[in-house]
Amino acid sequence: MNFVQLFQILDTSQSTNAKRNGLVEFIQAADPLESALAVEALTGRRDRKQLKPSLLKQAAYQAFTDESWLFDECYAAVGDLSETLAILFANQDAVSQTDQPILDQWRQRQHALSQQKPEVLISELPSLLNTLSRDEAFLFLKLSSGGFRVGVSKGLVHEAIARAIDMDRAVIEERLMGDFSPDPDWLDRLKAPVTQDELDAKPLPFLLANPMSESEISALNPTDVLVEYKWDGIRAQLIKTHETIRLWSRGDQDITEQFPDIVEVATTLPSQIILDGEILAGTTEHLQTFNDLQTRLNRKRITQTLLKTHPAFFKAYDLLRLDGEDLRGHPLIARKAALSKISVSQSLTIDPMCTETIHSMREEARGKGAEGVMIKGKQSCYVGGRKAGHWWKWKLDPMTADCVLIYAQAGHGRRASLHSDYTLACWNQDNELVPVAKAYSGLTDAELKDMDQWIRKHTLQKFGPVRQVEAFHVFEIGFEGIARSTRHKSGIALRFPRILRWRQDVGPKDADHLTHFEALMSDAHAV
Amino acid sequence: MLEKRLGPQRIDAHPYGEPFVLGDVQISFHPAGHVLGSAQIRIDDGDAVWVITGDYKRDPDPTCQRFEPIHCDVLITEATFALPIYRWPSMDQVMEHMFRWWDHHIRNQRTPVLLCYSLGKAQRIMAEIRQRSDRSVQVHGAVANLNLEYEKQGVALCPWQRASESDKGVSTDLIIAPPQVAESSFLKRFHPTELAMASGWMQVRGVRRRSAINHGFVISDHADWQSLIQTVQQSEARQIYATHGETRVLTRFLNDHMGVAADRLETAFGIEQGADQ
Repeated sequence: MNFVQLFQILDTSQSTNAKRNGLVEFIQAADPLESALAVEALTGRRDRKQLKPSLLKQAAYQAFTDESWLFDECYAAVGDLSETLAILFANQDAVSQTDQPILDQWRQRQHALSQQKPEVLISELPSLLNTLSRDEAFLFLKLSSGGFRVGVSKGLVHEAIARAIDMDRAVIEERLMGDFSPDPDWLDRLKAPVTQDELDAKPLPFLLANPMSESEISALNPTDVLVEYKWDGIRAQLIKTHETIRLWSRGDQDITEQFPDIVEVATTLPSQIILDGEILAGTTEHLQTFNDLQTRLNRKRITQTLLKTHPAFFKAYDLLRLDGEDLRGHPLIARKAALSKISVSQSLTIDPMCTETIHSMREEARGKGAEGVMIKGKQSCYVGGRKAGHWWKWKLDPMTADCVLIYAQAGHGRRASLHSDYTLACWNQDNELVPVAKAYSGLTDAELKDMDQWIRKHTLQKFGPVRQVEAFHVFEIGFEGIARSTRHKSGIALRFPRILRWRQDVGPKDADHLTHFEALMSDAHAV
Repeated sequence: MLEKRLGPQRIDAHPYGEPFVLGDVQISFHPAGHVLGSAQIRIDDGDAVWVITGDYKRDPDPTCQRFEPIHCDVLITEATFALPIYRWPSMDQVMEHMFRWWDHHIRNQRTPVLLCYSLGKAQRIMAEIRQRSDRSVQVHGAVANLNLEYEKQGVALCPWQRASESDKGVSTDLIIAPPQVAESSFLKRFHPTELAMASGWMQVRGVRRRSAINHGFVISDHADWQSLIQTVQQSEARQIYATHGETRVLTRFLNDHMGVAADRLETAFGIEQGADQ
């Protein structure tokens, strides 16, 4: 099996399972250098641009002589430069059937090409592509010009590697961190026995909180619990071993590379420590919103500029290991006492004494940039999972707004043929409807079906899978937070919006105005 | 076939190549190679010869007579796929690919389903299957009715049966059905299924991926870019009209690059992009 065959499997399946199986089979069967280079490409570790897009374009223009407009028409119809060239110049009747490894050969060819003078390269490219099949030409160009993507996540590749060699995924991810050198020994290196330090660098199962209702709060003995704010960030464990510092989010995602600033601060921590807490956007003095955090998560490369505009820090609220000793069996108050001696930003912890304290803390939460309070049993030990009687969360009621449905799109999986993804809008100062949220759920199956019928009958315009519909239906949406955003026309971004109610009692004119959101934003903490 | 599709009509049939008079002009029909019975129309009024190609293709198709180039003064040509990116691969290659895909999915206990236009495309694929194997298929009712008409005309198709009459469960036969069934309950009896589409539009990866169909086979009953250009050249027409599809691209190319006078011709027929082919 070679990379082209792997691509064909990945490109022609939509199920994650099929893709994973394809990857596992490839890693097991392919030449080890081929698989190393493939992993490098599939996990975005290779983005040296050897052939600039502008050069590819020039090559095509030259082949089209004085009809460059015709190439532009082709490009517009295909939508991808590499694919356009592959269709036009590859050998249409060549079938890429060979099992032989191909990536090393391509790598050398790409290197040789990049050494050529642009004029030479431009004139030779079409005939070079004509020696390849269409899929080969497409991949060759994609790999040379950067931006190679085939709908496989880094995580899925790592999972497949782990399965292929029967190893723990977390260990594989650790070993693939940082520089990856694609050579034939890569799998042997990954298969090496796991060291103690590697084991120490792995996160412990997170203790999760259960929601608590107002009546349950009243039944609670306030002297049995500690209260903290519930922060709107990324739950994470910060681990320092003898050799490394790691930051893990829930779901065993190693997000260390995304947060060099947190790692930097953590270097002063005592080693063999595990802290449980929250990654928050901003600084300890000035909190930013979850939106800002997402910017950090989504970037492939964390630049110095980004670290300045979108700083992040770690707020600890629990201590799971200290000096190599597992503290999870100790009661919370003992862990908190130990934590307080560590020099790290910590979440304020209150011993409430009376229920009113909990209530008033919750009232103040939004002003603090928090989304409610956490209530934790003083005597509770730290166990993995959503265990009853340990931690509770008491969230703020969501903010709400009435919005008008303007676009609908078919959902996925079970909802594949139903228009279940709604774009909802509010009115702006010019009396236009501007989108404020995309919501995916909240309606019953029967309601969804009714709406689907209505959407099909009242479509004004279709943009691919998206239908623009008549402004008629109003939905009440709930959301946890609100922030300014330059990416949206409305100028705002909502956090976790979902449909609460179908407001069949009101019309589109009754929907909320952008000023409603502005007001909510100034009520919330300063952003 | 026309009666089946249009209901009872007065239909006068004329064999290919035999001129007849209609009003002031002499008319003859010539093979268009699009589907069984498809014809170009040649119109001669004594001063000039006009040819209307209608939908056509130049690639061989075992279900119909091959396209015949005709000299004329004015040519009205279709332009559905008038972009250089549309170059059809050989049927040998496509069918080999299809058989591999078919076998792969029955090995994995999935029913292979090929979505394609039920008139012409379905029968062409079935005839190609017959020429290369003894494989059998199951077809949707819309395809079955046209199969019967084709067979009446002596077109040899691979063994087939109506899908509605088959057993429930995964089938090792290929299921051939029109694209609309992708969203209907027709395919339920064969679950789990693996969908592919046979169409010229499948030439572009993004089109296939947006359609939520895993696999695409580039099979078209329309002329690709090379065929369109070749037809224009062989006609030696002094004036070309392009209708349907990429008329803007074709006329500009003919005018600017080939020095042939070409204009766009608007018709009352809609463009059925993606819906058929």
